[in-house]
Amino acid sequence: MKTLASNVVMVAAIALAATTVRDAPAAPLPPLGGTTTVVPPDASTLDARALVSKVCSKCHGASGNGVSISPLFPILAAQRPGYIEMELQLFRQRERSDPHARAFMWGIARGLTDEQIEGLAQYFSSQPPASGTPSRDPALAEKGKMIYENGVPERDILACLPCHGPNAEGVNTFPRLAGQHRDYLARELHEFTGQLRESEVMHRFTQNLTEGEIAAVTEYLASK
Amino acid sequence: MTCAGSADGVVKLVRLGAVAMLLLAASALMLVSTPARAVPPFARQTGLACEACHTIPPELTAFGRRFKLNGYTLTTRPPLVEDIDDYKKNTVWLSDLPGIGILLQATYNHYNVAPPDSQVPGAKAQSENLQFPQQWSIIAAGAITDHVGGFLQMTYTQPSGTFGIDNTEVRYSDHTENNDWVWGVLANNNPGNQDVWNSVAAYPTLDFSNQSLWSSGGIDGAALSGPFFEGLGQSVAGPTAYVWYKDSVYFGLSEYHAAVSGSVNTTLDSSNLAVDGGTVEGWAPYWRLAYEYDWGYNAMEVGTSGMYTKFTPSLIAGQTLDPGFVNRYLDQSYDWQYQYNGQHNNFSFLGRFTHETQENDPGLVPTYFSNSVDHLNAWNLTATYYYNHHYGGLINLVRTTGTSDGNFYGGNGSPGNQYEVFELDWLPWFNFRFMLQYNVYQVVNNNQNPFILLKASNPKASNNNTLDLGLWMDF
Repeated sequence: MKTLASNVVMVAAIALAATTVRDAPAAPLPPLGGTTTVVPPDASTLDARALVSKVCSKCHGASGNGVSISPLFPILAAQRPGYIEMELQLFRQRERSDPHARAFMWGIARGLTDEQIEGLAQYFSSQPPASGTPSRDPALAEKGKMIYENGVPERDILACLPCHGPNAEGVNTFPRLAGQHRDYLARELHEFTGQLRESEVMHRFTQNLTEGEIAAVTEYLASK
Repeated sequence: MTCAGSADGVVKLVRLGAVAMLLLAASALMLVSTPARAVPPFARQTGLACEACHTIPPELTAFGRRFKLNGYTLTTRPPLVEDIDDYKKNTVWLSDLPGIGILLQATYNHYNVAPPDSQVPGAKAQSENLQFPQQWSIIAAGAITDHVGGFLQMTYTQPSGTFGIDNTEVRYSDHTENNDWVWGVLANNNPGNQDVWNSVAAYPTLDFSNQSLWSSGGIDGAALSGPFFEGLGQSVAGPTAYVWYKDSVYFGLSEYHAAVSGSVNTTLDSSNLAVDGGTVEGWAPYWRLAYEYDWGYNAMEVGTSGMYTKFTPSLIAGQTLDPGFVNRYLDQSYDWQYQYNGQHNNFSFLGRFTHETQENDPGLVPTYFSNSVDHLNAWNLTATYYYNHHYGGLINLVRTTGTSDGNFYGGNGSPGNQYEVFELDWLPWFNFRFMLQYNVYQVVNNNQNPFILLKASNPKASNNNTLDLGLWMDF
């Protein structure tokens, strides 16, 4: 009987606790895509080179050269320093929220200081660029070059060249695209067309791209 | 009779459905009431999602392998306390939160033929088990200093109803700045568990699909014949030193010693029915050499591992032996794996072949062993496929053959077994897995399985066939 009574009390307590939790005022939800996370500066002693050796190299090239093997991870060698810096800050602030950013770079970037971000940007941008993969379909690459340089005016697709440079080497915060993994470029373009990755400019520029055009542009850029 | 039979079938179906509904309802309930995502300890430390290290847990990706080879120390999380000396070497590095995680496995098993519950044939026999939990672990894992990391696991298992030490490892690691050389030393209690490729026996991938993990009863407690060194986990302990060169060549050397000198291990021989206890004598060397090549989304590995163990049996077929007898086991294993870790698709083919030479003490021949030397060959092949880390399955084939040894194995003397595992998985979250598994047994210990011993009227390996409905959570 005593056991029964204590059981009843316990069940009641659990039910009460559950109700209390349910009725507790919900914490206000942070605005989507807003500046919600401010990571305190890390007193870490790791400089950029040590960070590359200990952390970045596990995905972006084991020797620290910024040339990744798997297209899951972008090649960072010779990337524009302004772009690397901007993206790392976006990762740290969780303002870039495509699925892969959430899965990988949110965690990696959360403790980086401004100095470390700047150092990493300088480090990777000064690595020699990766040589592109020779195209297996020159006609497709040629079509991609046309789109890259001229866009498709009749369908309101603007050229990539003015922002990304005549050789796709990148300009300021506009990234280098030359020699990048084909699949990585395609994934990012799909994330822009699907509005999974933030960028009003790229949403607009890519919204009319067809699958064939994405294949052509990425074929061209990967081969450069 | 027919009518009664079909009614019985309907009842069984309804029961199966009820259990499935229960598990699905539980998950749906969590969906509405638990907004927080469950995160295991390594993810807490690194801030990385499960998919960074795993195709599907516990199989490691290329990144996961590097994380482990570097001593589980990767983190960009600001430490709670960090102190450095005048030479800028860390003297203290403490994480701001302990790497604690919980692993929970639950299972519903349906046996083809009800396993006997006691030595009395047919006594209390039931065809179903429902174990919640079937296994329950507390894991403490992650960086301990900036160069030392560990993995400590305590596990509760249902059949024994006790908590015990599970896989335990602490490793130190360092590397050159260009990562051409990564090296480390470690101590652990399961030969091969330090490995980073899932094709070796000690790594949990294959055990994860193995019936012994999900089902109790059945042939549990009378494990299938297998290479000797695969059964040493938690019974031995020892140090390992390893190097990892140019992101492609791994070489490691280990020495293992009995965890407790003179301790009795119950399932430590390729014929688990016959040898009931004994201990590893002195030090047993374990070696590992592997080569990995990565390209694009692909990674392949070929490797070899092995162990030489001297073992003092203390109990064979219920007979206590005088001390001083020593059997010697040489296990040589060759393994390979191919892995595709793509944007949406993951698949892998893993396999190993192990050859064992067992030299029996002359004093035990012919009383307990017919031959002075016995051999065992074991094949283990697995194929997995997963889409978006959410849906998929695996097939696992196991084939074991060996020298006939009538005095040792009984019956016709062959230690052979042969079975397949078919598994379908659904992972609503990466750390939350529903599993439907069917184990098909063609040969079980040369058909000298406990069912034959206990239930002579049903001498079929297929009696052990088991349908499992499983739930696995790591949080």
